[in-house]
Amino acid sequence: MTPTKKTELLSLDRICLQFGARQVLKGVDLNVTEGEVVVLIGASGSGKTSLLRCINLLYTPSSGKISIDNEVIYHEGSDKKVGSKITKREVNRIRSNTGMVFQQFNLFPHMTALQNVMEGPVIVKRENPATVREKAMQLLTMMGLEQHVDKYPRQLSGGQQQRVAIARAVAMQPKVMLFDEPTSALDPELVGEVMKAIVDLARTGMTMVIVTHELGFAFEVADRIVFLDEGVIVEQGAPQKVLLHPEHPRLKSFVGRFHESADLLRPFLEARMKENS
Amino acid sequence: MFDYTVITNNIGLLWQGLLMTLYFTVITISAGLAIGLVVGLVQLTTFWPLVLLGRIYVEFFRNIPLLVTLLWVYYAFPIFAGVNVTKFWAGFIGLSCYIGSFYAEILRAGVQSVDPGQTDAATAIGMSYGQRMRRIILPQAFRRMIPPLAGQSIIQMKNTTLLSMITVPDLLYQASYISSFTYRPMEVYTAVGAIFLIILVPLTYLARKLEKGGVSAK
Repeated sequence: MTPTKKTELLSLDRICLQFGARQVLKGVDLNVTEGEVVVLIGASGSGKTSLLRCINLLYTPSSGKISIDNEVIYHEGSDKKVGSKITKREVNRIRSNTGMVFQQFNLFPHMTALQNVMEGPVIVKRENPATVREKAMQLLTMMGLEQHVDKYPRQLSGGQQQRVAIARAVAMQPKVMLFDEPTSALDPELVGEVMKAIVDLARTGMTMVIVTHELGFAFEVADRIVFLDEGVIVEQGAPQKVLLHPEHPRLKSFVGRFHESADLLRPFLEARMKENS
Repeated sequence: MFDYTVITNNIGLLWQGLLMTLYFTVITISAGLAIGLVVGLVQLTTFWPLVLLGRIYVEFFRNIPLLVTLLWVYYAFPIFAGVNVTKFWAGFIGLSCYIGSFYAEILRAGVQSVDPGQTDAATAIGMSYGQRMRRIILPQAFRRMIPPLAGQSIIQMKNTTLLSMITVPDLLYQASYISSFTYRPMEVYTAVGAIFLIILVPLTYLARKLEKGGVSAK
């Protein structure tokens, strides 16, 4: 391995995924360094959500290799009791190294916001409930939800629910956070608050892989944007390069619409970039 | 002419019959819940031989008339197996297996009605299968299962009257016994119908209230 400034945290090696006869992922290589924010973009059906779900083994790849923090969590055939043996218990432990936020929030409806956040650390990690409670309160406060800790999900807006879901995932102290279209199910006026929560989290140095259709958001939060098309990565790079100077024809047509609005937004975007650097 | 003395003179027999009916209702519902839990959960695994076995059990007992099951367990099974089965055990086994198949279906449907996103979310925070079921899926499923469970249990109490066909002295059996020596079937069977109404109407009402509560709790 070539020595790099930052350590490699997540590494996907020739990941393939097959559903029946359909090949969803056709050999994806992706390395994410510590603290990096990678945004996956691509048309519907390009395999970006599937790729995300492979990272925490919600989907089992058909071949390839995945490691997190130098620990191999999946190796071709490891689910078929050949090669490296990874037991079910191991898989569950490995999963808690990744936190996932879903499009539909998926909060537990029979628990309050606070209970949702406490559930993982208390039940899975068996941590002391009193300590967890304190930590969960801090997280919810960080998410701007201190008024809502004892409310049930149905009493919260979509944006509030999604922020609880982010707190729930962060409470497990994951090494990588995975976001699966975190703002797609939200009313337009609620998108901003969730984006802000994700950007704030990124600034704390959390490593993230984000799937989104919001290219403006991708531009703002990403260190690197990865464009997937029909199960392969066709182009990747810094946000300005991928979104403003795309090379691959598929990417060009994909970001075409963004271009039009980007021209309008250019002054805003440039100001933002100066502020960030 | 409705002769009340037929009932008042034989109230002791009716009381004994009612106790027997309630007794069988309670014990077969309890055993049926245990059977339903096992068979229902078995069908939710991904191990196909178990799923198939559960399926066969459910279709078997759901599609044979209860009366046939009871008669078969009491009269035919002892000949097949060469064992002696008392009418109490035959009634208990027949009714429990029957209700168990319905409970299993209710449980399976209840669990499957829970949004798959819940399983994803629970899995993503590292929960094992057991933790997911116990903490996340079953609490949500049970809430939805209360109305059909209540409804099926009410049907079960009525079904216990079939026990009279294998001479278990339940309420209906006592009624036919009383009418056999008083020659007053009208009074006796009217009384039996009234007793069921008095017990089951409030329970049905309660089940409906639970149903409404269950919906508002999501």
